[in-house]
Amino acid sequence: MGHEEQLKDIPRIQKVVSVLWPSFLTAGVATILFFTAFDPVDLGMLLGVEQLERLEAYSIGFFLFWMLTSTSCALTCYFRKPCDEFNRGQGHQR
Amino acid sequence: MSQKTTNAPDEVQAEIYKKREKIYPREVHGMFARLRVAAVLALLGLYYVIPWLHWNGQQLVLFDLPARKFHIFGLTFWPQDFFFLAMLLVVAALALFLFTTLAGRLWCGYACPQTVWTEVFLWIERRIEGDRPRQMKLDKAPWSARKLAIKGGKHVVWILFSLWTGFTFVGYFTPIHELAVKLLHLQTGPWETFWILFYGFATYGNAGWMREQVCIYMCPYARFQSAMFDRNTLVISYDEGRGEPRGSRKRDEDYKAKGLGDCIDCTLCVQVCPTGIDIRDGLQYQCIGCAACVDVCDQVMDKMGYPKGLIRYTTENAMQGKGTRVLRPRIVIYSIILLIIAAGLVYGLATRVPMQLDVMRDRNALYRETATGLTENVYTLRLINMEDVAHRFVLTAEGLEGLRLVADQDVFEVPGGAVVTLPVRVQVDPVHLETASSEIRFTASALDKPELHRSQTARFLGPVTR
Repeated sequence: MGHEEQLKDIPRIQKVVSVLWPSFLTAGVATILFFTAFDPVDLGMLLGVEQLERLEAYSIGFFLFWMLTSTSCALTCYFRKPCDEFNRGQGHQR
Repeated sequence: MSQKTTNAPDEVQAEIYKKREKIYPREVHGMFARLRVAAVLALLGLYYVIPWLHWNGQQLVLFDLPARKFHIFGLTFWPQDFFFLAMLLVVAALALFLFTTLAGRLWCGYACPQTVWTEVFLWIERRIEGDRPRQMKLDKAPWSARKLAIKGGKHVVWILFSLWTGFTFVGYFTPIHELAVKLLHLQTGPWETFWILFYGFATYGNAGWMREQVCIYMCPYARFQSAMFDRNTLVISYDEGRGEPRGSRKRDEDYKAKGLGDCIDCTLCVQVCPTGIDIRDGLQYQCIGCAACVDVCDQVMDKMGYPKGLIRYTTENAMQGKGTRVLRPRIVIYSIILLIIAAGLVYGLATRVPMQLDVMRDRNALYRETATGLTENVYTLRLINMEDVAHRFVLTAEGLEGLRLVADQDVFEVPGGAVVTLPVRVQVDPVHLETASSEIRFTASALDKPELHRSQTARFLGPVTR
């Protein structure tokens, strides 16, 4: 079985999970490291935002990290697509 | 993907979107099932009870994110203590490696939150829908008021349990008593509400719907655990030599004369498997080591009057009639590293000084001369009292002859968990300065607790006098 066929064999749930889940884990780690080093209240003062709730800042920070990491996971999946598929998509059957 | 043309598009479509076959694990009783129930009760009991416990008027375990302080068993940790958390994670990882090498996937079968919560969800499902055959029958039946009521009831109970789980989870991060009061008045903050729902939804989705797929597709540990396995690792194995050729037979039949092995091919081991595999095909990545098949097969062997252990916890070496070695290099190395790091962690915690002293030089001026001809440097000191009780500190400085420390007060009171900023001046007669920059040392010591003191060095700048 070729690589392409094997990719097709991956259940859909595994495809979705392989984008959303590793990015969730790394976003969690990034959030912990980032907010251990930087207090959102201090950051807020630098940015001129007053009355910043820490819980809110952590949550928004986490989702921003998750957006970033899931974009990167999605791009990885996108670039994994075998080159043949592009040729075929444009009608150049080999 | 959508532009792709293939010879049999329908077939490919069917393959991509093939729905997983729902697994209906049959209920199982036996020694390992009892062990798992004990683990579930202990772990979930701890999870739901711990946030409600108090110690000296303080929640026993509270990762107070809004205040950036972790309260754990009477100790208070600050972001500056991140090192301890990192050490703790290393210890946990090493312990996991060690236990995996010794006894395989103990973690998966008995302690993993996915297993533990799934077990509860399965229990609820069985109480409401009935056992495996009734569940399968209900799923096959057309929709009716009765089916809707049963399924709806199950989901309502699942959701309530999940919400309670989510609420408890948030209670680890924000004081749970206040959270409970706020929840009763429906006044939880937007992010508190969001995380209760988020964690509740994750519980409901993972334990109710995803189940074994979490282990198979999402768990990083499941992917690499086999790297820790060797021929002496305890795994769940089917004794192929004894069981094959499998086949059905009557109870009092001389099956050996028929050329059959001990496996009666009742498929109960497959029916109880939460990940839906057949252990008789050999050790598989999907096997979470829950030993449900061991329990059920032992019962069958009992009924047939055969010896137990056709499927059993054993090692590859033992299965082949060789001896099992417990003490092997891998185990010894893991144990030594684990012991060293754990001892380091305990030592670090025992000798941890719960205060912090930071020294910042005044950036505006290098130094200045006082009216009496002394060289003066200005510093800002930041004193953090990491304990929950107030302490009185005295400040000293040393490192240069005739050094004088000038501060607003002689003794500083720092409330529990507070940060105090102190502007101080240090004066030295320039005749004692040998270089343009010398090192001095500030020390803050608590008057009421001798072991509570910290020092910090700083540069003292002055004119070069010789």
